[in-house]
Amino acid sequence: MTLVTYSQDCTINISGKISDHDTHRSLESVNIYIKEVQRGTVSDSAGHFSIENLCPGEYHLGISHIGCETQQYYVNLKQDTSLLIEMEHTSNVLDGITISGSSTDASTKNVNVINEQAIQDNAQESLAGLIEGIAGVSSIKNGSSIAKPIVHGLYGNRLTILNNGVSQSGQQWGADHSPEIDPLVANKLRVIKGASALEYSGSNLGSVVLIEPQKIKKEPHLHGKAQMFYETNGRTFGANIQLQQHKGDLAWKVNGTFKKGGDQKTPNYFLNNTGIQENNVALQLEKTFTDYWTADLYFSSFNTELGILRGSHIGNLTDLESAFQREVPFFTESEFSYTIEAPRQHVNHQLLKIHSQYFFNDNEHLDLTVAAQLNDRKEYDIRRGNRSDIPALDLSLYSFFGESKYQKEYANDLKINLGIQSTFTENTNNPVTGILPLIPDYRSVESGIYGIITKRRDRSFLELGIRYDHIYQNVPTISNTLPREIIRYTNRYNNLNGSIGITYNFSDHFALSANSGISTRNPGINELYSGGLHQGVSGIEEGDPNLDVERAIKSTLSIKGGSEESFLFELLGYYQSINNYIFLNPQIESRLTIRGAFPVFKYEQTDANIFGIDASMQYQLTNSLSTKWVYSYIRGRGKDNQFAVINLPSNDINASIVYQTNKNLTMGNTHFENLQIELINRYVFRQNNISPDQDFVLPPDAYNLLAFKTSANIKTKSFDSRWVFKVDNLLNVQYRDYLNRQRYFADEPGISISLGITIMI
Amino acid sequence: MGEIVKCSIIFSAVILCITSCSDDDPVIVNEEEVITTLQYNLTPTDGSGTVQLTFRDLDGDGGQDPEITGGVLNSNTTYTGELTLLNEQENPVASISAEVEEEADEHQFFFSTNISGMTISYDDMDSMGFPVGLRTIINTGSAGSGILTIILRHEPAKAASNVSNGDIGNAGGETDIEVNFSISVE
Repeated sequence: MTLVTYSQDCTINISGKISDHDTHRSLESVNIYIKEVQRGTVSDSAGHFSIENLCPGEYHLGISHIGCETQQYYVNLKQDTSLLIEMEHTSNVLDGITISGSSTDASTKNVNVINEQAIQDNAQESLAGLIEGIAGVSSIKNGSSIAKPIVHGLYGNRLTILNNGVSQSGQQWGADHSPEIDPLVANKLRVIKGASALEYSGSNLGSVVLIEPQKIKKEPHLHGKAQMFYETNGRTFGANIQLQQHKGDLAWKVNGTFKKGGDQKTPNYFLNNTGIQENNVALQLEKTFTDYWTADLYFSSFNTELGILRGSHIGNLTDLESAFQREVPFFTESEFSYTIEAPRQHVNHQLLKIHSQYFFNDNEHLDLTVAAQLNDRKEYDIRRGNRSDIPALDLSLYSFFGESKYQKEYANDLKINLGIQSTFTENTNNPVTGILPLIPDYRSVESGIYGIITKRRDRSFLELGIRYDHIYQNVPTISNTLPREIIRYTNRYNNLNGSIGITYNFSDHFALSANSGISTRNPGINELYSGGLHQGVSGIEEGDPNLDVERAIKSTLSIKGGSEESFLFELLGYYQSINNYIFLNPQIESRLTIRGAFPVFKYEQTDANIFGIDASMQYQLTNSLSTKWVYSYIRGRGKDNQFAVINLPSNDINASIVYQTNKNLTMGNTHFENLQIELINRYVFRQNNISPDQDFVLPPDAYNLLAFKTSANIKTKSFDSRWVFKVDNLLNVQYRDYLNRQRYFADEPGISISLGITIMI
Repeated sequence: MGEIVKCSIIFSAVILCITSCSDDDPVIVNEEEVITTLQYNLTPTDGSGTVQLTFRDLDGDGGQDPEITGGVLNSNTTYTGELTLLNEQENPVASISAEVEEEADEHQFFFSTNISGMTISYDDMDSMGFPVGLRTIINTGSAGSGILTIILRHEPAKAASNVSNGDIGNAGGETDIEVNFSISVE
């Protein structure tokens, strides 16, 4: 928002122009409402509005528009004031589309955004669930409360999750750990589907998920919002409260979330022991020292306790096979319960970050960041001898991160971006478990340096970058033979990444981007030194200390365009060729133990190709009716064509039809604004590429889900609120999903109705 | 620019100082829950020699392969069977069968064989009157050879249909032990 002021005498006018943040087009039918005087107006076809005859004083303006997030502005009126306001559309499908070349945040990479309103409207969703709607993004799960994101088929060690600028440091390995992040803390989630992500630490092969709280608004009064939500399936209820204030040169914001849910229900039975409880809090402080020096502090604490389907906890291969034969899992109860018993997970994640920014001048600045994270994970199994209350896995992961970034913009649209980063990590197993650790203790130091140059010239935009990392690992493992002894490994790796990208704008409505990058990823600790029974996957996992680094070449090509307003599309093709691709290969022979035979999985390397297409399009049928389509196609093969890459998402197609009314309904003192009704259909194809020797059971059938959603803002004199009503799995379809490990044992949840109410404070 | 370089160097140095710690060895866990050894002692009621079947895997799931010792039984003979579970990693050796006995209502052994004429029946029960299987009675028939399978389930549905007769089909729960012995009846 830009403020332009003119001098005037006694009666003051407030006027302005409203435009779309991305397209810069004028926005018609935007509601502008001044709370203090309860007067409002609507913007005209040129985006202009004006409210006259106001007394001097302090006012709060509420600005709302269909499909956009409602904005609040504070104005201290002394004279006639003109505002330039930009509104951002909330559509979580095509947000990445910025046709005109004048976006400030330019990059040749493909970026998709989920904004605050979309996050709030889906308050009960996990981080992975929220970004799943984006083409090329899905999640790998264990039940419905453990989910981690997959972008272009890569997850865990190969995908960086950046929480408020700091690479999330948890137990990234394994599909049975969620990233410990409360998405309600974020104002924005961004997914970068790039060929190489050079400015972010943490191993990745090109794609990044960013969780971004926004800067606190310059608003001297205490403001915030309170949200409550309830979902019928799991009888989940929760609340989120946000409060913020910007006083003098200090601003603060507090965010707290509480969530509790019980057993989920499939169309036919309860999923026993699938409850979840979460308590999260975040604090944000911002301090302005001078016009060119600011500092901020961020602290967040994430605490969760979650149950794992009782019937999915089994012993050996025979148990697993008898579980497959059952229609309804073992231990299914006929009554709903909130109780969480073993098998369960208890996780705490603490993040403290201090960041400071110093501007040498308008075009040159330096950022310094230090951050510490502590991740405590305890997993409880069903054990003999009253040991179920002793964790079977008890890991503390401490990490310390420091970063220095320098940016300079030259007059000729040339920008340079340099940075150095260092991360120290220490993982400790608590010996209280009485079980040999699956992941050994380790220390690692990762130090990186990068440089990126971007240059705009006429219709084209060029990006060039390079990154080098040195990684040191010190791993004391415990032998699996008697007598037990310490075998210490030390490794040093040198990773080199580079990328080049170009975007060409053929016109204001049509752009082409090409991106190519190389990346190297050193093997992770789990891939090198795992050893033992992984209860979560009922198999013996064995690392290989001799694994080599993965080398990937990824290229993306994207076209985006459309006509004036009514039609938008985006097409992205990618091809990644990964040499020494590390994967868990099922072995032919099973391992005989006193508990019977177990399948053995060994970390092995091969050359693999993963490629796919992400397609999105949006079409405005009439003024109030639009339709959106998202299609993701992905395939992965070994280069020798001998096998399909496992754990790749099924192809899927999402289609929705949205009705939005431009008219506001007024009943007495109550205003209904931004009424939106949406019908969403999701079709997931069967994963047909997996051969029978790659899994215990073949991937499940294709399925089709229907969802309904309606939302509106309701305002009265003293009350400003947003209501969201949703029905998921409307037809109560019975299905299983290939990327949910629970598919071996049980169906996915059936119909669920949810209601969320947000009240502005 | 000079300032920045200096600043960055100091900054990196600080991080290196913080991160250069001594190398502590991890504590080797005490695997008290591990079952290394199963012994099945078969004592004939006619007073002839005792037979001991043994499954022993001292280093647990990985490492060395387990040692398995089968046995030879007399035909048309009744044996009393007694199971002993040990953790031989502990010093002194820990008895896991005592642990199972304490939690008898949460455990049940299941026996099965493909040797014709051989039957195994329970000779003990928990506080609820359901069988446990630490003590059994074996009757052999005519001569033959095959496999005897012993399974220990933790938290089975003991009350489920036929489970107390030794049918594992409806038992559920987790398998804590599953071992096979080669037996010949002569």
